[in-house]
Amino acid sequence: MLQRTAVATAVALTAAGSLPPVTAEELVPRASGQASQNMAIAPGAHREGEVIVAFRDAVDEAEMERVLRSGRAAGARRSRFGPRVLAQLEPGVSVAEAVDRFSAMPAVAWAEPNGLIWVEQATTFAPNDTLYRFQWNLKQVNAERTWGIQKGVSTVAVAVLDTGVAFEDYTDPVTGQAFRKAPDWGDTRFIPGYDFFNDDAHANDDRNHGTHVASTVAEGTNNALGLAGLAFGCAIMPVKVLGANGIGTFFALADGIDYAIGYSENGVRPVKVINLSLSSSGFNQTVKSAVDRAVAAGVLVVAAAGNNGTSSVNFPADQPNVVGVGALNAAKEKAWYSNSGPELDFVAPGGDCDRDDDGDGAADCVYQQTLRSSSVQAGRYDDFGYFGFQGTSMATPHVSAAAALLFSQGFTDVASVRAALEQTAERLGGAAAGGRNDTFGYGLIQPAAALPGYGFNVGTKK
Amino acid sequence: MKTYATVALLLAAALPAAAGELAAEVQVGYFDMAAKSSAKALFDSSGGVTYGGALRYTVWRGAFVSAGLRTFSKDGERVFLLSQGGTIQKLGFPVSVELQPIPLMAGYRFRHGQLIVPYAAIGAAITSYTETSTVAGESFDSDGSKTGFIGAAGVEFGRGLFRVGAELGYSTVSGVVGLGGVSQVYREDDIGGFHVIGKVAVAFNLGGKPKPAPKPKPAKPKP
Repeated sequence: MLQRTAVATAVALTAAGSLPPVTAEELVPRASGQASQNMAIAPGAHREGEVIVAFRDAVDEAEMERVLRSGRAAGARRSRFGPRVLAQLEPGVSVAEAVDRFSAMPAVAWAEPNGLIWVEQATTFAPNDTLYRFQWNLKQVNAERTWGIQKGVSTVAVAVLDTGVAFEDYTDPVTGQAFRKAPDWGDTRFIPGYDFFNDDAHANDDRNHGTHVASTVAEGTNNALGLAGLAFGCAIMPVKVLGANGIGTFFALADGIDYAIGYSENGVRPVKVINLSLSSSGFNQTVKSAVDRAVAAGVLVVAAAGNNGTSSVNFPADQPNVVGVGALNAAKEKAWYSNSGPELDFVAPGGDCDRDDDGDGAADCVYQQTLRSSSVQAGRYDDFGYFGFQGTSMATPHVSAAAALLFSQGFTDVASVRAALEQTAERLGGAAAGGRNDTFGYGLIQPAAALPGYGFNVGTKK
Repeated sequence: MKTYATVALLLAAALPAAAGELAAEVQVGYFDMAAKSSAKALFDSSGGVTYGGALRYTVWRGAFVSAGLRTFSKDGERVFLLSQGGTIQKLGFPVSVELQPIPLMAGYRFRHGQLIVPYAAIGAAITSYTETSTVAGESFDSDGSKTGFIGAAGVEFGRGLFRVGAELGYSTVSGVVGLGGVSQVYREDDIGGFHVIGKVAVAFNLGGKPKPAPKPKPAKPKP
């Protein structure tokens, strides 16, 4: 009986994109680039060579002219709408000198620099990645404002427990199989991971699921190439617990979790988030125990709700100490395949490749770099492109990335990260008591709202 | 016990004094916020330097009224905490709080005109609160003003033009904070607090010279 259960659950543990990953038309890079709209004006900045001069009421035209000449104004422009003159100074006359000179004159009420004003616009960061415009998913979680606050730090890592990640150039000495590093990682740092299928340190991707998931977290961003990742400054730990067929075992998953939480560099454990874009229909105590150890070690475990379109959340996302993530389409509706239920915590962009709600001419998949599926099927792991997938597998790394950004900002405990994301999530579908409902959980994550934390009398803004 | 005895002695020694004295005070001291937990979460401490000034006018004998303005500010960084007693996680974004109480008090100087003058006063503290914080260009500001209660007691030394003194006091002003942020987590809504200040005063007698205390008439010798 025990053996039968083990076999059944092993088969049931699959990449949560248990729908066959939908590969949309491949995105072909074209030059675009978007300028950052950051304002960087120093306090007190003003126009050189100009001074605003306000004259007293009784001063006549002749006196004004005399004052302007003696103040070394080469010209002047009188406002048509109010009692002020903009004096254009002679070359070599400093603004400060002119202000002092005009201010000392009895006919002048006041004189001051022509200071600069600017739009009150929060800092945003628009990356120049050539295909970024197709990432409706990042816009849905307000990524540009998020990056204006926090882009992630490389001392915070997300462990991606999946089919592996195309993170290195490596040729297997036994099989001769060549793996190549995906081209759009930019400066993303990889932390030594593990392959629990082949029992070695080379957790390369032999499918394309794990590379896609990891790219949502930390694909090279603002490198004028391809697509972007939400926490592109954070590190990735590739851990292979799913095989080329997208199926793994609870034993390997528990090993992967324990490996991720046990890894340390100079006494510091970099993994703060474990991303599980996988699920199973059955409970497993071994995995549950590993998850408990992870949470006790201060690691947030984020898992996919599952793609069965049912009203129950799959294991391990259904566990109270695991963040369960459902999927939205580009219209902020629950994706047709996304599981829901009382255990659901958040929703995030998971895509619907049969729709184009954002009208960008491309199907609303979640696009990231990954291995070309046809090449993988032919046994080649060196052919990459930008492909669109859909599933709660795709939604999950958005939440993992958001959590990694909070850890990067200074959040230190799992409960606080969850609470900050809960408090600031965009409520969808009429949240019931406690701020959540079973379809959307607490809602759509908004990391930019969670990152600022609390002031004395001002909390997070929604 | 010794303090009580001293206060009783001073009260007993209170002498009538002339009206019309106007004093201008410069004050520097220490203020400790009543919202201690919130302040410690953001600023690591709840106290700091306060400074300001006041005008005091003696209206009748030792009775006086005063109006002042002090300012107190703290700089720190935004935090996140889950609940009271939860881990305070510093997030690196600056936050500043400034309090400006305007104490309007009425009180009594117990030995007006003497070298050492103890006094006590109570009144209203109109306190303005300003919080400023910017996170990557976005403002997270809060301000407000409320009137609360203030009480103070002190002692002043000197009877010439220049005086020095020290004062202890406490104010309580509710309703401005506690609506969000850490003050909501800690359920602290008071922007008042405890103050201890030193002061230098310049006093002018606007009502003429103070009348000396009447000399006791010599008792008539009994036949």
